[in-house]
Amino acid sequence: MTAPLRIAADIGGTFTDIAAILADGSLITRKLPSTPHDYAEAVVEGILALLAGYGLAKAELGEVLHGCTVATNAILENKGARTVLITTAGFRDVLELRRIRVPRLYEPLYVKPPPLVPRQLRLEVVERMGPRGEIVTPLDETSLSVAIERLKREKIDAVAVCFLHSYANPEHERHVGEALRRALPDTFVTLSIEILPEMREYERTSTTVINAFVGPPVRAYLRSLIRRLGDAGLSERLLMMQSSGGILDARIAMDKPAQIVECGPAAGVIGATHAGALAGYRDLITFDMGGTTAKASLVEDGKLVRTDEYEVGGGISLSSRLVKGGGYALRLPVIDISEVGAGGGSIVWLDKAGSLKVGPHSAGAVPGPVCYGAGGTEPTITDANVVLGYLNPLALAGGSVPIDGAKSHAAIEEKVARPLGLSVVEAAFGIHQVATTVMMRAVKAVSTYRGRDPRDFALFAFGGNGGVHAAELARGLHMQRIILPAGAGVFSALGLLFADVELGLSRAFLRPIAGTAPDAMEAAFEALEREVARQLDAPVERVQFRRQVDLRYSLQAFELTVPVPPGRLDAAAVAALAGALDAEHERTYGHRLDAARTGEIVSLRVTGALPTGGCKSLSASATVASAGPPRRRHAYFGRRFGMVETPVLARAAIGPAPLAGPVIIEEYEGTAVVPPDGTVRRDGFDNLVVALSES
Amino acid sequence: MRNDIDPILLEVLKSGFDTVADEMALILMRTAHSPIVRDSMDFSTAICDEAGQTLAQGVTTPMHLGSFYDAMQFLIERYRGDVQPGDVFVGNDPYAAAGQHLPDIYIVKPIFHDARIVGWATTVAHHADVGGIVPGSNALGAVEIYQEGIRLPFLKLVEAGRDVKPLWELIALNVRVPDMVTGDLRAQIAACVAGERGYADLFRRHGPAVMLRYIDELHDYAEQLARAEISEIPDGEYRFTDHIDGLGEDPEPVIFQVCVTVAGDTISADWTGSSPQVKGGINTPLPFTKAGVYTALRSVMASDVPNCHGFTRPITVRAPAGTVVNSVHPAPTGARGITGYRVIDCMFGALAQAVPDRVAADGSGGSTLPTFGGYQSGKPFVFCETVMGTWGGTASHDGPDGVPHMGANQSNVPIEMIEANYPLRIQRYGLVQDSAGPGKYRGGLALARDYELLADDGYFGLRSDKRAFPPHGLAGGHDGRPCDSRLETAAGTRMLPVLVTEAITLRKGDVFRHVMSSGGGYGDPLERDPALVLRDVVQEKLSIAAAFHDYGVVVDPAGPSVDEVATTVARGSSRRAGTR
Repeated sequence: MTAPLRIAADIGGTFTDIAAILADGSLITRKLPSTPHDYAEAVVEGILALLAGYGLAKAELGEVLHGCTVATNAILENKGARTVLITTAGFRDVLELRRIRVPRLYEPLYVKPPPLVPRQLRLEVVERMGPRGEIVTPLDETSLSVAIERLKREKIDAVAVCFLHSYANPEHERHVGEALRRALPDTFVTLSIEILPEMREYERTSTTVINAFVGPPVRAYLRSLIRRLGDAGLSERLLMMQSSGGILDARIAMDKPAQIVECGPAAGVIGATHAGALAGYRDLITFDMGGTTAKASLVEDGKLVRTDEYEVGGGISLSSRLVKGGGYALRLPVIDISEVGAGGGSIVWLDKAGSLKVGPHSAGAVPGPVCYGAGGTEPTITDANVVLGYLNPLALAGGSVPIDGAKSHAAIEEKVARPLGLSVVEAAFGIHQVATTVMMRAVKAVSTYRGRDPRDFALFAFGGNGGVHAAELARGLHMQRIILPAGAGVFSALGLLFADVELGLSRAFLRPIAGTAPDAMEAAFEALEREVARQLDAPVERVQFRRQVDLRYSLQAFELTVPVPPGRLDAAAVAALAGALDAEHERTYGHRLDAARTGEIVSLRVTGALPTGGCKSLSASATVASAGPPRRRHAYFGRRFGMVETPVLARAAIGPAPLAGPVIIEEYEGTAVVPPDGTVRRDGFDNLVVALSES
Repeated sequence: MRNDIDPILLEVLKSGFDTVADEMALILMRTAHSPIVRDSMDFSTAICDEAGQTLAQGVTTPMHLGSFYDAMQFLIERYRGDVQPGDVFVGNDPYAAAGQHLPDIYIVKPIFHDARIVGWATTVAHHADVGGIVPGSNALGAVEIYQEGIRLPFLKLVEAGRDVKPLWELIALNVRVPDMVTGDLRAQIAACVAGERGYADLFRRHGPAVMLRYIDELHDYAEQLARAEISEIPDGEYRFTDHIDGLGEDPEPVIFQVCVTVAGDTISADWTGSSPQVKGGINTPLPFTKAGVYTALRSVMASDVPNCHGFTRPITVRAPAGTVVNSVHPAPTGARGITGYRVIDCMFGALAQAVPDRVAADGSGGSTLPTFGGYQSGKPFVFCETVMGTWGGTASHDGPDGVPHMGANQSNVPIEMIEANYPLRIQRYGLVQDSAGPGKYRGGLALARDYELLADDGYFGLRSDKRAFPPHGLAGGHDGRPCDSRLETAAGTRMLPVLVTEAITLRKGDVFRHVMSSGGGYGDPLERDPALVLRDVVQEKLSIAAAFHDYGVVVDPAGPSVDEVATTVARGSSRRAGTR
């Protein structure tokens, strides 16, 4: 009796990727164009094609794992539900004023992004809580009735409610929620205490509004997908990827759709975490380079890092944690991924003083790099990589995208080499290096900025261009090992197959560490655990819980999250939190204060996981196309090595013994470049492992 | 660019410096203890070269651009031959350390490579209190610097890695909130340690010979880029005069007069004609005036000019000593921020004549700085925050509502954080309908913020801006609305002056109601697209009455919709009458 088949479907901007791992551990995939009029169409079509292609029966399908861009697109394209926000009287503009800061300095012509709920749809109700949950002004029923009457007149799909200090006393929000659900049963209602019962009114309001704004479109999409699966005779069991990296039953995700924003990149990191761990690599920096951006994330001891300082549609910035205000604040746990505007299509240019720049403008898919011959005239990173011999000068993607290397050469000569007085290959190598420098900032943002030394990590590179830039990037950061996984081009879909069913909840719990009663904290944790189990629709005993606590020194505004050991909390366990804060603070920021004296607890977090039939192994060779005859081409590796004749091989041609570079590995999904001072071998999980000599 | 310079390595190192400066800023913010540093982000970080010239600055407070240079010259001169690894310097005095005002404390750490100083990790942060006659140390009523708090020339706070305990104790004893101040000092040191690590690593990787050559080149490159940008500004003399309302009741206006001269690839700003220094804490020493000039010029440059010292070389700033923009001992400078903001605004006023498409009409001016202090359950508290406002309209769009001044990219403090930590209640925070300066593109709306004191009694101080001289419009746009500040007490309501110089005592339940000024408009309001007027009416940012009064647009409340015919008639008669 084999376990039911699990199929993953990940929707990207252009393609929908379908992937499954068979009982023998072999990976099977399908890639087909997305169907923007109804994304569910390509998902169902792709699953049917995958089953048919491998002779599998529909009945073998147990569940579908899914990541989609419906929630993100609703925000980026401002096509979410018509939403009303109800606030405490006097504070309806909190959403529009934001935190005031703007994402760009020295920019007098800056324009703020419009609020997701315009001012006329932000209604005020007379009520007021104090910071300790005391009722300052009782809820005024008349003002509530007025608001509800207004709602009935407007054509509204969703309502968000966020009152000041509701995290300390949810009574007023609950009351309003009940009244709304009674009066408007078909409207999608989100209360701030249901989505983020934590302090800081702008972030809580914004998160609540995002949930309401994307709720109706996400719900409609998921219902449509479930229906289509059923109509096609497939299993209707659908699990959604969350931005935090866990999967969740689609029917639960429908109530908290804000949790699935940005789930695609999250799935890629989950895939890296698990594929890395399978092969024995537990400390990774993931590097995902596509057409327009490069993303990096940190995996430490097999665990990924989450953040809740996130903005949807914040644009691409070099140091996202400092420059805020360009997007919509979403304060839910999201895998900490930093992003810079350097992808294959990023445009190369010279500024007024003749300095070489890369991005953030991109030639996109159309016209694309000059070598595509689709009308692009500005050289891109891809053009430089063609000139350097890293990319095939005739065609990419296994021959499906024909290219013209001579066009790349001409564009770089005219726009870069001649003005700088360099040869064309030197100019191209310069572009490659400058692009690498930009990408280093993404890596540093998740490592050195957090007190982590990149040298302690392996670089795990995927995405179409990840393998082309990994070696230079690793060199710049003194990293000595690079992992290039199989299936790099469908990595987000692959990641879905590794994810666990997970749900995280948190609550404010503001008090000093010293003097916190263990029983009160234990009771709060247990209540959270019961709520997690309830939402997962599973008995408490079946759920594997993880407890965490957000700590800071008194007077600080930013917290550090540390794990709480399992088991009933006692006085010693609470006291140990002080030591944990001191240690984590020193590790992250380089100094410690005295947490026993000034340490504070801010929030409690509980994550509940259900064991899944998730894939725990991935075998070699299933994914490897047969090796073709070896080819060679010239590739340039800087002044140190110059132009070198380099063999071009398929992944299958790389064996377990280290092969000395230079070598280029070409596959349908991407290209990997091993420099002359590196070696490459293939491990038992089909990963290419590149080692660089210390230089 | 010189022949022996590899443009690629230059770009690599420039990004490297930027990354180090940003990392310092992040660490400072995340470990800081006071709301004004951790939430408002009133601080800056920079990496300086061996000579104390800025190489890169973290993206926080533009107004601090270039303000490390003078302080560093002071420090280097004073401690020549007496700097060792592990030292950390502290200083704040405008006259004895080339600082800015006493609350802005510099923390500086030398960076060594092979036993030689190769650079400096530098930070400056606005501290919640440094002593003096009022909580928060922004006493507008101070008449000499001795009243403003503890004065620190550059001193070693840490010597060869060991705390200089007597100095820590002296500082802690002289401030009202020692935990907060020492916590922020530790945060600054942590940032410097990170900066030292990152910068020294670049030296180890590339070697000192290469680094020194490329540091020179980076300054030259920034200079070249700045000159290319200045060349695109039409030559000429552009004069502008602006005012700060003045100090206390019946204020005497403080004059700011600038003549910006563009000649080829150089630019100068001459402040001759500005008021003599005043008996009140709004004087600024010259380095801060220079920083304001740099910020405004940097803002009208299209290129991404590196924030390094070389950028300032084609720029000259002149200001007679003893004026409000170049104060001398013992002039008080505690609340000099407002003067820095006005320097920038005044520069934009002049630049609007040269590059009208690149600047906005005047915005709400300096941030409002309310300070509440007192004792709660026997423990002292000091709360101050910077309330930021709104910008003027531009040649292409409306001024945004709720943005920081160009000089200081700061945040508001969450209301829930204020109320959880201080005996205050915020009664209102939002936009004010009908307040925008009318124009083809209107200014941003005014912001209101009301505070109620919950402690039995307390002290209140206020620095605000732009009442007698509201934000100006451009190209026929109208002025923004002046600011408004009222104190409601048991005795009745009292209008407060813009710059409060005498201590105000509050009782429980007293309410301070504040409305900032709004942004000025750009272009003739009668040319505003009626659809935009209607949008503002729909969004409840403009009343139907004001739509008619300010723009000559007749809005039919049914719909609502624009009555095209009535609007044409109304606008025609307005144009003939020359009103609006």
